[in-house]
Amino acid sequence: MPAMTTVTKLHPLRFALAFTCWALLAFGILFTPPVQALDVRFSRVLVSVAHGLLTGCGGHAARDGAILRAPGGFGVEMRDGCNAVNVLILLWSAVLAFPASRNMKALGLAAGSAIVQALNILRFISLFYLGQYSMTWFDFAHAYLWESLLVLDTMVIFWLWVRHAVRPGTALYARA
Amino acid sequence: MPCGPGLRYMRALEPQTRFLLRGSALLIGLLTLWWFVLLDPMLYVLKGAAGAFVSIEYTSSGDWSFHVPLHAILPATPEHPVAREIRSIDFDLSRSDAIAFTFSLPVYWAIILAAPDVKRSLSPLLLGTILVSAIEVALLLVFAEFTARDAVSQFGGIADAEGTWLRRVGEYLIVNVLPYIGPFVVAMSTHGKLRAQVFGILPPTESSLLSAREEQPRAKMRRT
Repeated sequence: MPAMTTVTKLHPLRFALAFTCWALLAFGILFTPPVQALDVRFSRVLVSVAHGLLTGCGGHAARDGAILRAPGGFGVEMRDGCNAVNVLILLWSAVLAFPASRNMKALGLAAGSAIVQALNILRFISLFYLGQYSMTWFDFAHAYLWESLLVLDTMVIFWLWVRHAVRPGTALYARA
Repeated sequence: MPCGPGLRYMRALEPQTRFLLRGSALLIGLLTLWWFVLLDPMLYVLKGAAGAFVSIEYTSSGDWSFHVPLHAILPATPEHPVAREIRSIDFDLSRSDAIAFTFSLPVYWAIILAAPDVKRSLSPLLLGTILVSAIEVALLLVFAEFTARDAVSQFGGIADAEGTWLRRVGEYLIVNVLPYIGPFVVAMSTHGKLRAQVFGILPPTESSLLSAREEQPRAKMRRT
């Protein structure tokens, strides 16, 4: 077993406080008019990517701004809250609040965001098909199941990142 | 006790993968159980608990009608030349919106049951169930208060940008963030082993050895 040389203290209360501050700041900024405009554009980009993937795999759908429409008339719109920005903010807040190097934080923010958005596009496409089958199941999956799964995935992404951020030769312990 | 190949395979996985697989399966199972079986009893209990603080009645369509005591004086405006006094605000909350204040509990159960060392999860399960239930009631009450204050500002035609922004952020947090993150935060607070694994925290014995090792060079330096 390699000798551990560096010890970093994790202050749980300090982490919780920093996480809350980052999250509140980010959610506050999210609701300012310029960022809201960017948020809408971002949703459109995500729908465009989902549309490209869907048609590329042989599916049939039409895109209208942030709405993905099926030939049968069903349409699903990516609104504020559906673009996983809320989950991204939670991940960013956790990564920024954790005692790690700047490079590791940058890696966590970039890789974590990419994975969360990839999962969110998968969620959007699955909801597009589910809504054509049953609106009851769509409501359940849209509001509760997929959203909870996405938060669970985000927690695991953070957990995996922590394993890399706390390198061999570095140990973390909670201050008593 | 001998374990089957499936269980042996699960134990061989990384803790993160094991937690993700178990958590996802439990989330799907428990949320489906909640949607089809537990939803109505939970709504009944939620209405009863929140009803201890604010008046809630059923409407003919099964929605919830809130009566929130709120004292405000609306100043005179060109449309209403006389100042008006408000003592309470009544509004309806659809059943589908009230549902959002009950689903945190099955999510919490899924996280705790997916956490390592499930045999020692009974205490966090019970404690967390009480905490998450209390958070759900508190969120519903805060939501009712926010909605009532929003209605007052609309009646009065008060268009303050900061107030509107604050209410939007608050409502977003209450409806779209806190019910989802709440169970995870409570699980991390009540389940010590899960918290230690996620944050990569060493067990107390190893960390004390490590701190002793860290202290040694400093002690030598003091002597010289």
